[in-house]
Amino acid sequence: MRKILTALRRTPYQSLAVFSSLFLSLFLSLLLIFCINFLYGLLGYVESRPQVTIYFQNETTETNIMGVKNDLEKTGMIESVKYISKNDAFNLYKDLNKDNPLLLEMVSPDVLPASLEIFAKKPEYLPQIADRLNKVTGKDEVNFQKNVVDKLLSLTSVVRTMSLGFFVFLMATTSIILMTITHFKVALRKDEIELLRLMGASAGYVRKPFMQQALFLGFISATVVYGLFATILYFLFPAVQSYLRGIEQLSVDLGSYQLIVWPITPLYAGALYIVLTLFGMGIAAFATYFATRKYLSIQRS
Amino acid sequence: MIQFENVTKSYPLGTVALDDVSFAIEPNEFTFLVGTSGAGKTTILNLILGDLYPSSGTVIVNDIDISSKKSKKIEELRRRIGVVFQDFKILQDKNVFENIALGLHIQELPMKKIKDAVREVLSLVGLEGRDYYFPVQLSAGELQRVAIARAMCGDRQIILADEPTGNLDPKTTWDIMKIFKKVEDHKTIIIATHNTDIVNSMKKRVLVLKKGRLTKDMKKGGYEL
Repeated sequence: MRKILTALRRTPYQSLAVFSSLFLSLFLSLLLIFCINFLYGLLGYVESRPQVTIYFQNETTETNIMGVKNDLEKTGMIESVKYISKNDAFNLYKDLNKDNPLLLEMVSPDVLPASLEIFAKKPEYLPQIADRLNKVTGKDEVNFQKNVVDKLLSLTSVVRTMSLGFFVFLMATTSIILMTITHFKVALRKDEIELLRLMGASAGYVRKPFMQQALFLGFISATVVYGLFATILYFLFPAVQSYLRGIEQLSVDLGSYQLIVWPITPLYAGALYIVLTLFGMGIAAFATYFATRKYLSIQRS
Repeated sequence: MIQFENVTKSYPLGTVALDDVSFAIEPNEFTFLVGTSGAGKTTILNLILGDLYPSSGTVIVNDIDISSKKSKKIEELRRRIGVVFQDFKILQDKNVFENIALGLHIQELPMKKIKDAVREVLSLVGLEGRDYYFPVQLSAGELQRVAIARAMCGDRQIILADEPTGNLDPKTTWDIMKIFKKVEDHKTIIIATHNTDIVNSMKKRVLVLKKGRLTKDMKKGGYEL
């Protein structure tokens, strides 16, 4: 460790340049990963909501509503239908606004409409179900989620594609910068490297200090980026939480496991840190390996 | 053992540095390479070190054919060879101890052994107590001693010296040669030199080169061109 720190201190500007380049790339990468996971979590959440909801006018009786429910179930297009009575709606409202007594005072069960939450067997049935519901007597409003899901899906897809392109560009640029800086560092120690090679040092032996410095800077950059990101999230948390009011958690489907991405759990935070650190150290080591390879082969004529 | 068999070395622009040279040097033999500038002395040293390929012929050093393309073999060979360069090649940002210990670090010896070995060789070259001096604090003679100490330190069986006394005054020159004499019984020493006095006085084997050709090989020779 002392040797690494001494070497970094002897080339302060190159070390700072490597750190800055890694810092920028890792920060943007972490931001992209976080945003994509968040969007996927949001998409999963929206997909899990009722696909079509019909709200009834106040005067519509429960018998009529149950009649609509039975008719829907007979169509063969429905996976499930859930009846939310006025009282159920009021209870949900109370739960959502438990921290705001003023809002609770202003609302009674009579004000809130009864509704049916409908899940279709196939997404293709949704327009037909929505058409059918629009013709129901006593309906107040029909909410059709397909457009929201489609828009979110399209947004997520665009963000993912753009992020991938940006990410590749970012990594290529960072690698080139790191390679160039390492070339400088190697050139500064050209005499020593030449002497070491003539004395029988292996390429691995000569490369080792450069790799150690790269791994160290990768680790430090990742840790600083993570710390900064955590601080920013800490201050943004109340605003995001308020924006997501009513959404208890967002999770990403990892096959057999649901990873909770909001609110941030220790597992997700740890995974992000490990991925970021490995990534930072990996790219620094990769660039250094290729930058030194050219100079370390035994050149004989 | 070092063996040259019909070795020719020509450079890309057509210069022939060595022309059909053959000789063998036994282990622990002390040999001078003499000849005018451009005669091929440094080329022979570079071939032994594996820094050059022969254009034709074979160079075998310690049973390793230096034409081998395997870097590992060449690295292994170089760890058995100490080189004293004419321009010393002392690293300016490292002190005497660090410069000498370079070769031992390469062999990945434990620090205790490195310290003991460096102290021993410092005593051999008469630089006791100068461990932590930096090159700028040393005279040319002392720098050459550091270079010799570095070449001798560790388990290096062959010492190659390219004009080791080229820039030194007569007294320092003799001091340097005394260091080589101290280890001549257990190391193969090859010195490329122009110094007539040294070659004549030491009565060692002399290989005379002229325009890339080996013209004389004298067992206890003097400086003749």
